[in-house]
Amino acid sequence: MADESPEVPEDLAQVANEKGIPLDLMRRALALGFPAEAVKQQIQTPGADAEQAEKFIAEQERIRAGGEITIPEELAKAAAKNGWPEELIKRALVLGAQAEMLITQMEAGIRPDQAERFIAQQERMRDAAARGEQVLDLSWMHVPTEWGIRARPGKKGLTVSALNIGSYGDVPDKWPYQTEMPRGAHPIPGIPAMGYSIYEKAELWADNAADLYEEAVQRRWRPATDIPWDSMEPLPDEIERAMCQLCTYFCEKGLLAGDIVGKWLPEMSYGYHEVKLYLSTAEFDAARQFEVFRKRALSNGGGMGIQSPGYFHRAIIDTRVWTEASAVLHILSNSFLIGMYQVGEYVAHNEAESLIFRLCMQDVSRQMAYGVQHLKQFLLRKLDKRAEVHAYLNKAEAVMTYDEEQDTPRREALIILLGGGVSKEQILDGVRKLEYFKRRWVRGYVARLAAAGLPERRDRLHPLLKKYLEEPTVAQAAA
Amino acid sequence: MTQETKVKATFPSIEWFNALRDIINVDDAYKHIGTCDAVVGVKLPDAKKYFLITFEAFEVLEAKVVSETEAEDSDFWLEMPDARWQEMIKNIGENGKADLNHTLNTIDLEDPEGFARSNDGYRRDAFYRFNQSFQHFFDSSAKIDTKFA
Repeated sequence: MADESPEVPEDLAQVANEKGIPLDLMRRALALGFPAEAVKQQIQTPGADAEQAEKFIAEQERIRAGGEITIPEELAKAAAKNGWPEELIKRALVLGAQAEMLITQMEAGIRPDQAERFIAQQERMRDAAARGEQVLDLSWMHVPTEWGIRARPGKKGLTVSALNIGSYGDVPDKWPYQTEMPRGAHPIPGIPAMGYSIYEKAELWADNAADLYEEAVQRRWRPATDIPWDSMEPLPDEIERAMCQLCTYFCEKGLLAGDIVGKWLPEMSYGYHEVKLYLSTAEFDAARQFEVFRKRALSNGGGMGIQSPGYFHRAIIDTRVWTEASAVLHILSNSFLIGMYQVGEYVAHNEAESLIFRLCMQDVSRQMAYGVQHLKQFLLRKLDKRAEVHAYLNKAEAVMTYDEEQDTPRREALIILLGGGVSKEQILDGVRKLEYFKRRWVRGYVARLAAAGLPERRDRLHPLLKKYLEEPTVAQAAA
Repeated sequence: MTQETKVKATFPSIEWFNALRDIINVDDAYKHIGTCDAVVGVKLPDAKKYFLITFEAFEVLEAKVVSETEAEDSDFWLEMPDARWQEMIKNIGENGKADLNHTLNTIDLEDPEGFARSNDGYRRDAFYRFNQSFQHFFDSSAKIDTKFA
């Protein structure tokens, strides 16, 4: 039966009973001046038990009785390194701070003067509680984060990049926190880990991520009202069927891109919010891609076409690290996707199609920009990973070329659209133009990899892609 | 009923690009497209005339006459024979904007070397990233009474 001792508040007693911690220990903690709410939070921390509580309280009683405050060796070293005075450390220990937490705060860049303000507030709280006074817990107002920040709007307004000033602009190479705490905030102990797997800057960072986020927000568009749908007129049956087949493929690509980014976002820790923000817009862009091509397919007398084989889709989904997923999706896959968007704009039969493809080109080129910059900084920071990146691309290029061989509907739809019909001459013209465009797509892919710091890729391309670099580009697309 | 008075300018000239800049910088439709950040070269190889246009945030910051090398020191440059430039500008003037056969992308695809060229595969992609802004920029030349040199 629980001890009904009056000096232990009911909610604290309940938690103590649940954790198997004697109420006498709670009384001793309160007698030391610790606020009941703080004691409750402390014993709720995962791993807290009666033995740990007894040890901690006994140490506090020893200190209060005039015993010497012992600073653990590791803490003393960290304090010396970060310029925290010994007296400050002792005051923090008297307040019940854990050595591990103090070291974490020092490593996070908390300055001694910031810590002193926080500790002084905690001392005032403790003294007030000892006098039995009811006071607000205002310790959060003295959180030892950098204060007095005044970010200023520029020509583009107040951007995410503009917030990266002072310590808020420090993007660590490794993010030490496993929780959803935003960068620059102050951690509290006992928060359960969120299960992220990416804690290293090299594994996701791109210097342009914050700007791409703003760009995506600024250049957003609305398929429902921005596209002049009334410009569409009935098309010859084979042309409408070919366009709808391509739209079906683009719908698949849109959903796939959303799934891939959606799968990886929860893996990315909170220290790199610029990347998480940009990828959130990329996910929205992917949804819009699906939306606009479904609308095009279902708005001019046609309908959805046949499913694609999807070998390449599965290869991207099955990637095991984000850098691989990004290189394959954002650089390889999108280099060919944007090529098809260009062709879509080139063969557009009305203002609606022309604008759809131009706007989609913009969206997918932001993804390529992230992919190139991420791969660039990855290769710069992970010098031993170059061969691994080639291995990613070897596998992905092989699957992509196989997928392309198998996807007869897509190839034939492109030929019909480029040739303008299904007569023998039109088909020949379509085949010739498609080969011409494929050379451009491969050149673009290789140029992006070169910009990412992988110029030697042109010599290692899959043979079915490499042939497009070796043949002379003499064909003219113009009819 | 009043008739709109068009600015008169000769293509290619810095006066023509400045007139276009002035039109764009008071155009809410251009701002509505969103921010655009790119340095774009313009090359007319036959006339040996070269320009550099700076797009920044919601405006065209500057257009200036430069050397060929300076025009290529850009995110990308637009290059085609002078006659093709004239054809594009005339088409825009006649239609109020580029028709489906004269969009920047279509012209780019028709040239094996590309209309938009760059020494950097990443920077060239600015042509795609801000394509609608560039299209709107050139389409706005319909508001200029263009003479050709």
